[in-house]
Amino acid sequence: MAQQTSTQLPSPAPALPTPPAPPKRPFARHNLRTVVDFEFTRTMKKRGFWIATLSIPVVMAIVFALIYMSNSSTAASEDAQKTAAVSFTYTDASGLVTPGIATAMGGTKATDPGQALQDVKRGLTEAYFAYPAEPATQPVKVYGTDKGIFENGKYDAVAKQLLTASAQAEVGSPQLTAAASGDVKTESETFKDGQATGGFGSAIPPLLFLLIFYISIILLSNQMLNSTLEEKENRVTEMILTTLNPTTLIIGKVIALFMVGLVQILVFLTPIAVGYLFFRDKLAIPDLDLSTVTFEPGTMIVGALLLLGGFTVFTGVLVAIGAIMPTAKDAGTIFGPLMALIFAPFYAISLIISDPRAPIVQIFSYFPLSAPVTAMLRNGFGTLSPAESAIIIAELFITGFLVLRLAVHLFRYGSIQYSSKLSIAGTFRKKNALAGK
Amino acid sequence: MDFGDTTVIKDLSFDVRAGETFGFLGSNGSGKTTTLRALLGIYQPSAGTLHIGGKNFDPRDGARLGYLPEERGLYKKESVLDVMVYFGRLKGLDKTHAKAWSRQYLERVGLADRATMRLDKLSGGQQQKIQLGVTIMNDPELLILDEPTKGFDPVNRRLLMDIIEEQKLAGATVIMVTHQMEEVERLCDRVILLKDGTSRAYGTVAEVQEQFGGTRYRLSYDGALPPSAFYDIVTDAGGNAELSPRPGGDERAVLRELIDRGVAVRSFTTARTSLDEVFIKVYGENHEMAEV
Repeated sequence: MAQQTSTQLPSPAPALPTPPAPPKRPFARHNLRTVVDFEFTRTMKKRGFWIATLSIPVVMAIVFALIYMSNSSTAASEDAQKTAAVSFTYTDASGLVTPGIATAMGGTKATDPGQALQDVKRGLTEAYFAYPAEPATQPVKVYGTDKGIFENGKYDAVAKQLLTASAQAEVGSPQLTAAASGDVKTESETFKDGQATGGFGSAIPPLLFLLIFYISIILLSNQMLNSTLEEKENRVTEMILTTLNPTTLIIGKVIALFMVGLVQILVFLTPIAVGYLFFRDKLAIPDLDLSTVTFEPGTMIVGALLLLGGFTVFTGVLVAIGAIMPTAKDAGTIFGPLMALIFAPFYAISLIISDPRAPIVQIFSYFPLSAPVTAMLRNGFGTLSPAESAIIIAELFITGFLVLRLAVHLFRYGSIQYSSKLSIAGTFRKKNALAGK
Repeated sequence: MDFGDTTVIKDLSFDVRAGETFGFLGSNGSGKTTTLRALLGIYQPSAGTLHIGGKNFDPRDGARLGYLPEERGLYKKESVLDVMVYFGRLKGLDKTHAKAWSRQYLERVGLADRATMRLDKLSGGQQQKIQLGVTIMNDPELLILDEPTKGFDPVNRRLLMDIIEEQKLAGATVIMVTHQMEEVERLCDRVILLKDGTSRAYGTVAEVQEQFGGTRYRLSYDGALPPSAFYDIVTDAGGNAELSPRPGGDERAVLRELIDRGVAVRSFTTARTSLDEVFIKVYGENHEMAEV
């Protein structure tokens, strides 16, 4: 039994142990967890995955650090600017400028505009403002000594501030001045069927599903495409097909990919969350006013179902492409146009929001590959009726299920065509009597 | 079994008995691998059924099946041990047993120090050993090997044959596709020879040998070898000849005929036609030369 002479073999070679006989169990009932475990773990073990995944938060951290340092120096220079007064001369053809305010701001009234301008050019005065007779229709001319692109802006600011302060003094009421300039805030509330609608605040939560959809597809689509190509390119298909139900394999891979995507999203979001919670002021992140955001259960449920249905459709399509194409390179030629379809609805976004009955919007709403994005946009902006929601959701789930079935079929009967493109029709000819299907 | 308008396998029917080693023979393109793939449900046959123990067979029912395909490959970027444990778990072993079995197998085939290496860092022969391990790690009841020794050097071929014999002794039914006739003669109980998708010979090794040449007499002699009604001269050179008996030409009759006709026989042995000769007879000299 044993090879005694070879240096390659242990000597004497022990007989192989007999493992406990595995019980007979149909493929599908016991292997899903094993596939998910294997696919997820091996991705997590890859150095390349972590380099790629961590590179994004590292880049974000570097950007945040630069913003932090930049904002610190900007704040310091702003403080310095506040304390530094601008010395200027001015002429006033409008008669609107109040001399007392001008003097308080560092101004001196000039009598000769030409001389005032020459003084600026020679550096004798810091700035000269020429207020025209009709400031509402004519520009205020601002001349200043160059202090750099950013600091030069202070001349405009001071010139405007002087005119505004003088106008307020003339009117005698800051409120009237604000009203006249349109500087007022409004709060809107609208009603539908007697109930207050959420307005723009209610559009934000369902649109988050669209964001999640895009992130999922962008992060995972390439891996979905390659999920079945790997078995084909590595010639593992036959071993797999006699060990495992292809449905279990594909579903296991999709679940594992989704888990990988969640890990990536967590890694990406961590620096943002840390930055928002602890360094919001320094990083110039706007303080979100969440009080206007409202969660409408119906819209949220529709959004979630559209996300799930859309994810199923794209997963099925990508896996099917992987099963048809012999190599990743070949699959890439279809992958690009397919990805373009998820961005196509944005070409018609104004119509999607304003005129959902438009033919192009209707086509985008019901074509399975553009439907998820279009319907999620319409759902967010409140132009998707309950009946349309039901039809589109049903269509996405049915299409997704059928495409996934097709993908499994193509993988099962086509993936051992290792070097040539698969004929889809060929896989359906003469249905298998042996496999009892 | 059809591919488009081409019929690849036609009217093929055979039995494989429990516990035997069955040789599946044929030239390249004769339909061996296609038949196996159809039996395993990898291809969709136009018609036909596979019964095991009188029941319709479907590999998805969870039978303990070990299949070593002709097109080989595993997850090349993963470690040897991870891949073996994965397949062990898919085949129903728990993780601990799969790992323990894998380590012992690697020790046996001299790859214990490669357990944590990526598969693509191993040589082709080493990868083949891993693939064989994956094939047999569930103690299969039915072991199907498609050209198992392809790519192996003689030492490792011997090791592989030993492992297959162990599986057979452990009660596995083995179906083996091979072009190595000495492997067939050593291991197989019965064989089928395919040509153009149909069976050309089927039975025990002895029956097939009998069917395609049967008994030969090999002799060394002095003098001239005369023609006779008891035998045909197959080869004759330098005082060594091979005779093919005609009806009535048993050992005693042929030997008596030679002596009576003055041939000084120095040695006389009876042998069966080798499977190599059977193969050449079935597929023809031209085919054999083309294959070579």
